[in-house]
Amino acid sequence: MSTADREPAASRWRLPRTAPPLLRALAALRPAPGRVVLAVVTGTLALGCAVGLMATSAWLISRAAEHPPVIELSVAVVATRAFGIGRGALRYAERLVSHDVALRGVVAIRVRLYQRLVDADPAVVAGLRRGDLLARVGADVDALADVVVRSVLPFAVAALTGTVAATLLALALPVAGPVMVVGLVVAGVAAPLLAATAARRSELDAAGARSATSAEALALVESLAELTVAGAVPDRLRRLESLDHRLARRLDRAAAPAALGAGLATLATGAVSLVCLVTGAVAVAAGDLAPVMLAVVVLAPVAVAEAVVPLPAAAVGLVRAHAAAVRVMDLLDAAPAAHAPEDSLGTVPDTGSADTGSARTTSPGGTSRSATGLRAEGLYCGWPGGPPVLRGIDLDVSPGRRVAVVGPSGAGKTTLLLTLAGLLPPLSGRVTLDGIPLHLLDPSALRTTVNLTAEDAHVFGTTVRQNLLLAGPGLRDPELLAALARAGLGPWLSELPRGLDTVLGSGGTDLSGGERRRLLLARALLVHAEVLLLDEPAEHLDPVTADTLLRDVLTAGPAVVVVTHRVSPLVATDEVLLIEDGAVGCRGRHHELLRTSARYRESWQVEQGACHGSRHAPASRRSRAPAR
Amino acid sequence: MRPLDPRLLRHARAARGHVAVTAALGVLTAVLVVVQALLLADAIATVAVEGGGWPEIRDETALLVAVLVGRAGISWAQERFGHRAATAVIGQLRLQVVEHVSALGRAAPGEAGVLDGTGAGSLVTLVTRGLDALDGYLVRYLPQLLLAVTVTPGVLVVVAWQDGVSAVIIAVTLPLVPVFMVLVGLATRSAADRRLRTMRRLGTQVLDLVAGLPTLRALGRDRAQATRVREAGDAYRRATMGTLRSAFLSALVLETLTTISVALVAVGVGLRLVHGGIDLRTGLAVLVLAPEVYLPLRMVGLHYHASVDGLAAAAEAFTVLDREPAPTGRREAPDLRGHLIVLDDVSVTHRGRTAPTPHLLRMDVRPGRVHALTGPSGSGKSTACSVLLGLRRPDAGRVLLRRPDETTASSDGSLTPGHPDVDLTDVDLADLDPASWWRQVSWVPQRPPLVPGSLLDNVLLAAPEDATRAEVDTAAAETGLAEVVAALATGWDTPVGQGGVGLSAGQRQRVALTRALLSRAQLVILDEPTAHLDAATEGIVRATLLRLRDQGRTVVVVAHRASLVELADDVTTLGPVGDADPAAGDAAQPSAGVASRATAGPGRPR
Repeated sequence: MSTADREPAASRWRLPRTAPPLLRALAALRPAPGRVVLAVVTGTLALGCAVGLMATSAWLISRAAEHPPVIELSVAVVATRAFGIGRGALRYAERLVSHDVALRGVVAIRVRLYQRLVDADPAVVAGLRRGDLLARVGADVDALADVVVRSVLPFAVAALTGTVAATLLALALPVAGPVMVVGLVVAGVAAPLLAATAARRSELDAAGARSATSAEALALVESLAELTVAGAVPDRLRRLESLDHRLARRLDRAAAPAALGAGLATLATGAVSLVCLVTGAVAVAAGDLAPVMLAVVVLAPVAVAEAVVPLPAAAVGLVRAHAAAVRVMDLLDAAPAAHAPEDSLGTVPDTGSADTGSARTTSPGGTSRSATGLRAEGLYCGWPGGPPVLRGIDLDVSPGRRVAVVGPSGAGKTTLLLTLAGLLPPLSGRVTLDGIPLHLLDPSALRTTVNLTAEDAHVFGTTVRQNLLLAGPGLRDPELLAALARAGLGPWLSELPRGLDTVLGSGGTDLSGGERRRLLLARALLVHAEVLLLDEPAEHLDPVTADTLLRDVLTAGPAVVVVTHRVSPLVATDEVLLIEDGAVGCRGRHHELLRTSARYRESWQVEQGACHGSRHAPASRRSRAPAR
Repeated sequence: MRPLDPRLLRHARAARGHVAVTAALGVLTAVLVVVQALLLADAIATVAVEGGGWPEIRDETALLVAVLVGRAGISWAQERFGHRAATAVIGQLRLQVVEHVSALGRAAPGEAGVLDGTGAGSLVTLVTRGLDALDGYLVRYLPQLLLAVTVTPGVLVVVAWQDGVSAVIIAVTLPLVPVFMVLVGLATRSAADRRLRTMRRLGTQVLDLVAGLPTLRALGRDRAQATRVREAGDAYRRATMGTLRSAFLSALVLETLTTISVALVAVGVGLRLVHGGIDLRTGLAVLVLAPEVYLPLRMVGLHYHASVDGLAAAAEAFTVLDREPAPTGRREAPDLRGHLIVLDDVSVTHRGRTAPTPHLLRMDVRPGRVHALTGPSGSGKSTACSVLLGLRRPDAGRVLLRRPDETTASSDGSLTPGHPDVDLTDVDLADLDPASWWRQVSWVPQRPPLVPGSLLDNVLLAAPEDATRAEVDTAAAETGLAEVVAALATGWDTPVGQGGVGLSAGQRQRVALTRALLSRAQLVILDEPTAHLDAATEGIVRATLLRLRDQGRTVVVVAHRASLVELADDVTTLGPVGDADPAAGDAAQPSAGVASRATAGPGRPR
């Protein structure tokens, strides 16, 4: 089921992949043609009011100078006033309609991006930093909306206004029509092109200088204490100054065409009036133009020039949005997962629910199913296309087993968990659930059987209840409360004035580290998975809290694999794997490793020494003797 | 913040010239606008009323061409010099802010309060991207503002000279523009604020779902939440449109008032023309001039939003610039080779905490010895380092420099106690000129900084001017950095830091250790140099420590690992602290369990 199939409107704006990214991105906003036309028409009418006001006033004044009966002027008087009132109202309407078009586009493209991200290979998404991803879905999409309002629509409005005005002008004075077209093309196409050239040049030439200046300023401010102690600050300040000068020179060079464009636009629009004045005067003398119309053909072009005023900025907006469009289209074009859901053979039952038609259940009722649990054999894991981070892992997580994985950071422990959860394909070897390779199982059912809680698992900016209900939409409050209590959050919840309805900050910013970890644990418990995979559930907690939490975690699920850097609580595990140099350095029960592995023993001793100070710190005491 | 902050002119020299040039161009624009209007009116009237032809308006046309060229030139100059000045102003402000922050930092860079009101994070934004927003203010908004105070009154005076009635109409409607805009602003503000909050909340909801996508995937809920994305997006759109409906009202008022005023002037002129009150020449001149009176006001309104970010960034910069650096000691630091460093019951209370860490820390750091600092995380080891570095003043207690003979008078015969020329009193670190202290100190922090530049630049960061290549090579060989350099295609010239190659934590550590070896500083402070490092790097840290001791330097090392603690001559163990968890038993102990046991060991033979 591809994204396009779900969205019937897709074909209307579909562009080939070779089309410019900005054009494709704008098409991906799926603007409704009716609304776009409405925005352009109201914008044109608003400008038309300004032109009409100038033209009718000019006619009114010229005609009045011939002292006609006042009644002859009444239509012009009413028209003048109407144009005066209409302009503001129409402009207001245009602003609302154009923003509505853009915002609808934003929603449409965000939904598509989200679906793409869901369908995409997890590795594609995981390859992006969270900040980058959010920038693409957030700021980059907003930049596209901005382009619609500030670039695309102003160009359309200017084109329509110019065409209509030139046509009307040509009716009064034939030669004035082409003159206006030329003037508008110079002011509305050449000047914006120059502005765009300047913007592009500034991005190409000055980007390097700009980032060098930023990097220097950043290093100075961020490492101020270190640089101050090192006495390096004056040197760095001199460097920053010279970098800033270089940036200024580059920016200045880049800005030159834009200034030329600005001058050119003023010249072109003014020239239209002047040419109209001269040709008009000749036409009046020849009797081809009524004298009252001369002021109209001279002054109306002044008002029309307003249409091209925003265009240089609009062109710059198009240039600037290019990068955003490329980034957004990158995501939209991301390849869907290799093992899409419809390719999967069997379906694994959602063990928490009533759905039991399964590949694992050999007989109805599930009494004799081959529940051998999660196993890894000869597993090599790593990111697709990259080198293996971990080699030759064998692991048995049959029901009831508690396994811990320890090792230095960067050793690939997280990669191992992602592979065990089926979120990364094994580079070689296999991971099976009750004998079936993970990639043959239905992903969503697999997730509820083998549940991974990542180290940076997200707390959503919504209520406690909604956060927990992500584990299963049908869960009832008593179940939620029980899970919170098991995760040790009972007292915390009772302190909350609004209980389960308390709204949490996105990312759990208003929770302490321990509370956040426990909330994640509660959510993991509610999945009722058969295997819980937990990545550093106690990272960044103080030692006592960390150890208590780890002990709780180890008794939490039917089978548990926990990645941790604290070894003290691992007394309660069935097996500990110590990862060293990309492979299992040694493995065994906690007390065995204390005997056999010097490294494990040392970690343990550091924790003991740190945790209990002088009382149980033989290492620290011994070391007080001089080394030699 | 005011539309034109005098502090901008004070702090950024380039801004003064820019304002002067822009104001001059504004006056020139006003003159040209008036001349153009009068010439156009004259030419049209000559043809339309007096039956003149091309020969009669030839002079006017020539002048009009000159005016047009002049106006085009002003457009060019405004854009050209505007950007140039903006770049200069931004550069000057950036440099001043960084300079000033480093001056503030000279007093106490580690002090939590140094960057109060801005915070390091927003300061970083300010000096990298924040100030760039001033471009919109300086290039677009400020010129229009200056036009509003030159062109608007100037042209109005000319209109009054031409036709008093029209001038009165304009003079009456002109003040209505700001009045109505303020009224609209006040009327919609509370609703707008509320809507804005809703809008922001809804806006973050979609991003929240995207941020949590891996989590949703792990929970098998990723597909189901797609409808939430649409719902949250639609709610966001509705809320935003609600906000915009009121936000655009002020623009509606502005445009309606200005165009209606022009219409009123035009109709008034037309009706008075019928009765012969004025002539066509005057009428046309007023018609052309009337919109010009309002134009700068409309442009100010149009560019206002472009200026807000820039002004906010400038205000933030001025907040930093207006802070006075705390006074520092002036006394030259004594030679550390001959002084003990004594931490005398030092306590530091961190913001938002009650229990101080460290609490009543006592330790003596003897010259030429390796002093290990151990204890559980959170017990204040890094803070003790900051205090020792002079980066943080203790909330209680002092850091003293003491001649060794005062404490162990018998051990050193070089000084005669009581000698009148020898200053035997303790020197407080707080009284010293920080720069003179730091000249004798080298620091290997937990996350050693890399500055933009080559690897060699980074290694030489704290090295004396006369450091030779041979010294660099020797030091690098000892810290294992030589291996890293050998593996790089461009060796020592490889760019590092932001925009350069990334170095691993272990490689950064080697850079920092090489820096320390090269620095020739007497006191070397290493903060957790073995945290998260592999066995190989740990060996290098040990070797570096030994090398530093062989060079006769004083080393303070925060150490977790037994292998490092073993190496130390003296060990101080900080106790656990009760602040984090009341369950920690030691919290109940007197003096918060700080067990300072800096024992003078038998001493190594030297």
